[in-house]
Amino acid sequence: MKLSALSKTNLFCAFFLSCLGSCPVLADTPFEALLADEVNGADWLSYSGGYKSQRFSPLSQINTVNVGQLKVMWAYQMQPTGISGAALQETTPLVAGDVMYITESPSSVTALDTSTGRVLWHFVPDITNDVLNIGFPRINRGVALLDDKVYVATLDARLFALDARTGAVRWETTVADNSVGFSLTLAPLALDGKIVVGVSGAEAGVRGYIDAYDSETGERLWRTFTVPSPGEPGSETWQGDDWQTGGGSTWLTGSYDPELDLLYWTTGNPAPDWNGDLRPGDNLFTCAVLALDPDTGVMKWFFQYTPHDTHDWDANQIPVLVDGEFEGQQRKLLALANRNAFYYLLDRETGEYLLGEEYSFQTWSEGIDDNGRPIVISNTEPMREGNLVWPSLQGATNWFSPSYNPQTGQFFVPNRRMGAIYFKSDVEYEPGMPFLGGGEQPLDGDDASGAILALDVMTGEQQWEFELQTPPWSGVMATAGGLVFGASNEGNFFALDAEDGDPLWFFNSGAHIRTNPMGFSVDGHQRVAIIGGQTLFVFGLE
Amino acid sequence: MLLKKYLSPLSALIVSSVLLLSAPPVSAQNLGNGQQLFQTLCARCHGMLGEGSEGPSLTRPNLVHAPDDAALVSLIVGGIPGTGMPGSRQLRGQDGPDVAAYVRSLGKLPSEEMPGDAIVGAQVYRSIGNCSSCHILNGEGFGIGPELSNVGQRRTAAYLRRSVTSPEADQPRLVDRFRGSLQAFLTVRIVSELGTYEGMRINEDAFTVQMRDMAGEIYSFEKSDLISYEKLEGHSLMPGYNSVLNEKQIDDVVSYLMSLK
Repeated sequence: MKLSALSKTNLFCAFFLSCLGSCPVLADTPFEALLADEVNGADWLSYSGGYKSQRFSPLSQINTVNVGQLKVMWAYQMQPTGISGAALQETTPLVAGDVMYITESPSSVTALDTSTGRVLWHFVPDITNDVLNIGFPRINRGVALLDDKVYVATLDARLFALDARTGAVRWETTVADNSVGFSLTLAPLALDGKIVVGVSGAEAGVRGYIDAYDSETGERLWRTFTVPSPGEPGSETWQGDDWQTGGGSTWLTGSYDPELDLLYWTTGNPAPDWNGDLRPGDNLFTCAVLALDPDTGVMKWFFQYTPHDTHDWDANQIPVLVDGEFEGQQRKLLALANRNAFYYLLDRETGEYLLGEEYSFQTWSEGIDDNGRPIVISNTEPMREGNLVWPSLQGATNWFSPSYNPQTGQFFVPNRRMGAIYFKSDVEYEPGMPFLGGGEQPLDGDDASGAILALDVMTGEQQWEFELQTPPWSGVMATAGGLVFGASNEGNFFALDAEDGDPLWFFNSGAHIRTNPMGFSVDGHQRVAIIGGQTLFVFGLE
Repeated sequence: MLLKKYLSPLSALIVSSVLLLSAPPVSAQNLGNGQQLFQTLCARCHGMLGEGSEGPSLTRPNLVHAPDDAALVSLIVGGIPGTGMPGSRQLRGQDGPDVAAYVRSLGKLPSEEMPGDAIVGAQVYRSIGNCSSCHILNGEGFGIGPELSNVGQRRTAAYLRRSVTSPEADQPRLVDRFRGSLQAFLTVRIVSELGTYEGMRINEDAFTVQMRDMAGEIYSFEKSDLISYEKLEGHSLMPGYNSVLNEKQIDDVVSYLMSLK
């Protein structure tokens, strides 16, 4: 199709060369630049560092030999907004040219000079303290860039387009009704002329959807619900009116294959979370990945990881697009380490299930059958008196990003090793109120642990693990320098040797870390960034 | 024995509580829901009837961290960072207030009877017990074990008796907002090229560990430098006092400690 005719390498060169020497401080981000994001190490133009969502930096200036000399080049302290409970920072910074764009909880945007960390502009949306966030903290995971605009989705369920040079509002639109429990916390995904967003709110019993908006005007182009209404495909997996409060939120940024022209988006838990008696059936299309036509939103295929989930194991993890040889055949794959403790490979052209391997201790399934359906162990659902199951509702991993090194075929996963006592209770739906039907008591702290895992991307087999003190809330980024950057609740930002997991460098940021590392360069010098507590740190060698 | 006193029918408890609680009125249904949630979420530390254990007894009219009902709901849901009290964030809507109402109703129950003589216990603490060689109490003593200045607020007599006779029997926790429930007095044994170190873990991350030994010295190690690093689960640095104190002396010390509020 139209994009496959263009060589990504040429695109990259054209974009990159235009920035050498006299790069403007404020660079626009054309769609062509987004297509080349994966190979353009100087910038980081989208949430996962490219449409394939590999969170891989092709830069190698910082490597296994010199990483021990990393130092802080500058730091930036987040600015309180007066909105209570917005103290967690989960943004992935984006960098275009010499400007970094971050969000600050709950939904502010700040533009920073990448060489000095000085603020260029700061945008604070008019969110009030009574905004609903049911089932998740008051956070935001970052912006999207397209052409001359910066896009931010807000906690009160709006989408803003900001002028990239000033932060002024170009347009805003309401995506969903916050008063019934919808919120937006994800970084939007910019495609050609459109901005795609998903919603949070399954803990409030919303019916989830994915929206695309015209990037220039804010007009909604399509909406695809993740829970079918009666008569639609998948509706046979629901009973009565359960679908109306069926959940299936879409709260994490998806991936895109420009050659197949398919958009991949993951979905969350059915509602209510822990009382499955109230929604019999497989509850399609919850806990799934959907392949959508980006022009129409029409679903081309789906794969449900956890049918009739009762543990809140959203499938809202990053779908990583991988090309390579699987069992002797060249394939276009979609790899996903699921919250349910299994690592999956799908054929991303057809949705065919190829592989499902346990990557973390779990007690709920005997494995995955030939069709990709988990073989559920009986009596592992939540119970009124409590039922101990691994993993906990936060999962064996969660929203924070994995990373894939296409040069070595390694898939890196931040792993949470924690069980929980799951409870079931009665609940009735009430708009704008929690719709949970139970809860959990986690076995956390010293009863739990974490790790960074290196898996063979084609088999899911573990190559090494690096143990963490407690279950992490931070993503990882592999680099062409043979490194894997990661972070911990204890506040460490660290670099591991990708070959064997040996720690090569660590830094105490002084506060918990719960975001993803990213990388870029300033005047040809490689940088890596992380946020610890309320402080963004940018590291480099010189 | 003492527990039997608490085993009054729930209905009587509810009626008396409803009469005594101030506005807004709490229904029997609210209290029943609160009790059910309490028993699944809170009883492990506070006892099935709120009599306390590792967590403090709640059968008292005034709760230190909860001067009013709003504060009580807030700490039930959010926990008390820096203490052993985790949050129960899964409580939604009316559940938090219902648990709070049930906890308040426990304050009407009779308080725990002390087994011994607190004044005599204070003498035992200072003399034969030599407790101040490891504990600070009201500003005096040597700080290796936990400070005991207000330990009567946090523990029950039965719990403290066990602490004195079998210190390893309980492993108290501290809740860190971001890391969860961590062992407060975990014994660690560290072997480096410079020697072997045994003491209490103060802090730890994936790369380093900090500990305090029995001499009160604080050490910080990089794990990559160590020959071995062991966590001695179920161990306590404190010796058991069964062979040091007789039953009466133990009762007296426990009563003394329980008077420290």
